[in-house]
Amino acid sequence: MSSQKATPQIRTRSLKTWSAFGNLGRRPTEYEITAHNMNHTTGAIPLELGPDVNGNAWLLEHRDATKLRVADWDLFRDPAALTYGKYVAEQDDQETYIELLLEQFDRDGADRTLSVQALDMLGRALAPSRYLGHGLQMLSAYLQQLASSSYVANCAAFQTADQLRRVQLNAYRTTQLNRSHPDRGFATSERGHWENDTNWQPIRRAVELALVEFDWDRALVATNLVVKPVADLLLIDLLGRQLAAAGDHLDALMLDNLWRDSRRSQSWTAALTSFLLESDSSNGPVLQGYLDEFAPLGFAMIESGVQLLSVDGDQESAHLAAGVRADWATIVEAGGLRLGTG
Amino acid sequence: MLLNRDDWYDTSRDLDWTFTYVEASDAFPARWSGVGAESADAWQAWDEPFRVSYRDYVRIQREKESGVKAVRSAMMRAGVYEKLDAGHVAASHLHMGTTCMVEQMAVTMQSRFCRFAPSPRWRNLGVFGMLDETRHAQLDLLFSHDLLKFDPRFDWAQKAFHTNEWGVLAVKNFFDDIMLSADCVEASLAASLTVEHGFTNIQFVALAADAMAAGDVNWSNLLSSIQTDEARHAQVGFPTLAVLMETDPARAQTSLDVAFWRSTRLFQVLTGPAMDYYTPLDQRKMSFKEFMLEWIVNHHERILEDYGLKKPWYWDQFMHSLENGHHALHIGTWYWRPTLFWKPNAGVSKDEREWLREKYPTWEDNWGVMWDEIIKNVNDDRIQDTLPVTLPSLCNLTQLPIGSAMSRHDLEPHQLVYKERLYSFDSEISQWCFEQDPERYAGHRSFVDRFIGGEILPPDLGGALAYMGLTPDVMGDDAYGYAWAKDYVTAEAG
Ligand SMILES: [Fe+2]
Ligand SMILES: [Fe+2]
Repeated sequence: MSSQKATPQIRTRSLKTWSAFGNLGRRPTEYEITAHNMNHTTGAIPLELGPDVNGNAWLLEHRDATKLRVADWDLFRDPAALTYGKYVAEQDDQETYIELLLEQFDRDGADRTLSVQALDMLGRALAPSRYLGHGLQMLSAYLQQLASSSYVANCAAFQTADQLRRVQLNAYRTTQLNRSHPDRGFATSERGHWENDTNWQPIRRAVELALVEFDWDRALVATNLVVKPVADLLLIDLLGRQLAAAGDHLDALMLDNLWRDSRRSQSWTAALTSFLLESDSSNGPVLQGYLDEFAPLGFAMIESGVQLLSVDGDQESAHLAAGVRADWATIVEAGGLRLGTG
Repeated sequence: MLLNRDDWYDTSRDLDWTFTYVEASDAFPARWSGVGAESADAWQAWDEPFRVSYRDYVRIQREKESGVKAVRSAMMRAGVYEKLDAGHVAASHLHMGTTCMVEQMAVTMQSRFCRFAPSPRWRNLGVFGMLDETRHAQLDLLFSHDLLKFDPRFDWAQKAFHTNEWGVLAVKNFFDDIMLSADCVEASLAASLTVEHGFTNIQFVALAADAMAAGDVNWSNLLSSIQTDEARHAQVGFPTLAVLMETDPARAQTSLDVAFWRSTRLFQVLTGPAMDYYTPLDQRKMSFKEFMLEWIVNHHERILEDYGLKKPWYWDQFMHSLENGHHALHIGTWYWRPTLFWKPNAGVSKDEREWLREKYPTWEDNWGVMWDEIIKNVNDDRIQDTLPVTLPSLCNLTQLPIGSAMSRHDLEPHQLVYKERLYSFDSEISQWCFEQDPERYAGHRSFVDRFIGGEILPPDLGGALAYMGLTPDVMGDDAYGYAWAKDYVTAEAG
C-alpha cells in the first residue's frame, strides 16, 4: 500500500518552473509564469458541480459545444505579454500623460475657444460614445469569462479595463464641456442621442445584437473583429482626426492616446485568430463564416457613423467611409481573415 | 477648469439605456444577473460603497506592485525561506495550493459582474475587482514560482486545481459554486460579503500576523498587500444586500445562512489547522476560535443586525462547531496525511497541548484522547498504525469528512434520499443547506461516490492517491518526522 511507502524520507527533486510547462527548453518569461494553465474548468464537466447546474450548462453549451478546434489553448501568447504589473505601470504612464494634457489645455482656456463645428461634433459624437464604451466593456468582459485559456482571458480582462478608462475620460470631458458650455446639453442629452439619433442606431444595434451572442466563438468575432474595431476606427481614430481638423486638439490628443488601447486589442485579436487558423484547418471556415455573417453590422456602422463625423457633405462621408472600410479590412487581414465587400 | 472625481463620477455611471434591437432580458438573463424583470427597477438604487477612478487605481496599484516586488527580491536575496520553521512552511504550501486558483476564479466572478450585474454602477466597479483578482493570482504565482527550487509543493499553486486531491476538490466545489455558477446577486452575497469581507480576514490578517512572527516577511507582506485590495472590493456585497432586503429578504437570509456555514467549514480546514497547529507556538497571535469570534462572528452578527436579518437558526450548533470542527479536521488531515500535498505539523507536543487546553477547555476530552492513541503508536514504533488504510466518508454538501463538524461525541447520522439517491452530511446544518436548493448540489459526485462507483482504480488507498495526483515528492508526512512525540516517551515508560 502506497501510504506505507510514503513515510520514508523522500528526496525532493528541485523544480525550475511549473511542471505544467513540460519540456519548454528555455526559461519561461514572467508573463508566462503568471498566465500559464490557469483555467481549471476545461475538463469534461467544467465545474466541480453537477453537470446540469447553471455554470456547467452554460459552459458546456456556449464554450465547449462551439466549433473551434484547438489541441492546446495554452500555446497562445499575447503579443504585448501583459502582466498585471506591466498593465498598471503602462496605463499609469498614459494617464499621467492625459493629466498633463488636461492641465495644459485648461491653462490655455481651450474649451472656451472651441469652434461651433467642434462643439457640434463633440455633442453628437464624442459625448454619447460613453454608452458605446460601456457596451464594449460588457462585451469584452464576456470574452474573458468563457475563454478556454487563461492567456486569452487575461487579454480580455485588460481590454475590459481599457473600456472603463475610456468611459471615465469621456465623462471627465463631458463634464468639463458642460461647465464651459452649459447651454449645449452636455452630460444630459447623450442618452437621447444614443437611443434616437438615426446615425447612432446602426452602432447601437450592433452592440445590442453582439450582447446576445453567447457562444464564445461567435462573441469573439462579433466583438473583437466587428463591433469593437469598427467602433474604435470611427469614434476614436476618425473622430480624433476630425476634431483635430475642427481645431479641438485636446480631444484629438486624448483620443489618439485611447487609440493605443484599441491597437493593443487589435493586435492580440490578430494573434489569436492567426493562432486559431494554425491550430486546426477547420477553424478558418468557421471564423470566416462568422465574420461574413456579422460584417454587414460593421458596414452599416460605418455608413451611418461617418455621418456623425462628417462636416462637409456626402462626398466627404463617402471618402471617410472608404477609409474606415480599408482600415477595418487591414485589421481583419492581420489575423488571416478576409473582409467581404459591404 | 480641472475636475475632481466627484465632479464627473455621476456621468461616468449614467450608462443604462433602453434596449430596442434585442430584449433586455435576453441581454441580461436572470440566470446570471440574479434579477427578474419584476425587480429590475429596484436595482437602480444600488450605490457604490466606494468610489475609485481608473486614473487613481493604476497609480496606487503600481506603487503597491513596486512595494511587493522590492520585498520579494530582498527576501529572496536574504535567503529567508530556507530558515523558516517547517510547520510555518506547511501553512504557506496549504495557502498557495488552495488559494491561488481561487484568486483566478475571482477574476471571472468579477468579470461576470462587469457583464451581467443589474446596475451599471456595479458593472463598473467589477472592473476594479477583476483587476485586483488578476493581481492576486499573479502575485501568488510569482511568489510560489520563486520558491519552487526549494520545494516542489509550490508547484501546487498552479497545479492543485487540475488534480483530484480531495481537499482541493472541497475548495473547488465551494468556489465553483459561489463564484462560477452563481448569479451576480448570489455571488456577491456568498463570495463578496461572506467570504471576502468576512472569512478571508483569517487568511489575510491572521495568517499575515503569524507569518510576520515566523520571520516570513515576504509572505506576510504579500498577504497584507492583497488584503488592501480585498477590503475595498469586498464591499460590493453591501449595496447588493441593501437592495435585496427591499426585493426579497427571505432570499437574503437563506443565501447568507448557507454561505456562512459553508465558509465556516471550509476555513476550518484551510486555516484552523494552520493557526492552531502548524504555526510554531511562540509565534501564534490568536487562536483560530478567538480570531473567528473577534473578526468573523462579530462582524457577521453586526451585518445581520444592521440589515434587519436574523441570526441563523443553527447558531448554537455553529458555536459548538467553532469549538471542535477544526480540531476534528486537523486530526483527520494529519491521519490521512498521505492524501495531502503539504506536511502537516501534529502540533500536540506537551507545550502545545497546554496551549490547546487553555484555548479550548473541551479539547482534552474530545481530541486529546485520540492523540494519545497516536502518540502511543508513534512511540512504540508502530507508525503504520497511525496511517490510513481506507478513505473517510464525505459530506455531500461540504465534501469534508463525516464526523468532522462537531465533537467526537456528536455522531448521529444525517442522511436523506433525494430522487432515489442517498446523500450523507456532516451535520444537520449541511443537510439543511442541501434542502434549501437540492438541484444545486444533487448532481455532484463526491470523491467517495466516485470511489464506490469504480472510477478510482485500483479501489484502494494507493489507487486513490494516484487518482489525486499525489506524487511521493509532495505527499504529506509529519512535518517534523514525529520529533514532537518524544515529549511523551519518559512519561509513558514511567
Ligand atoms: Fe483576491
Ligand atoms: Fe477578492
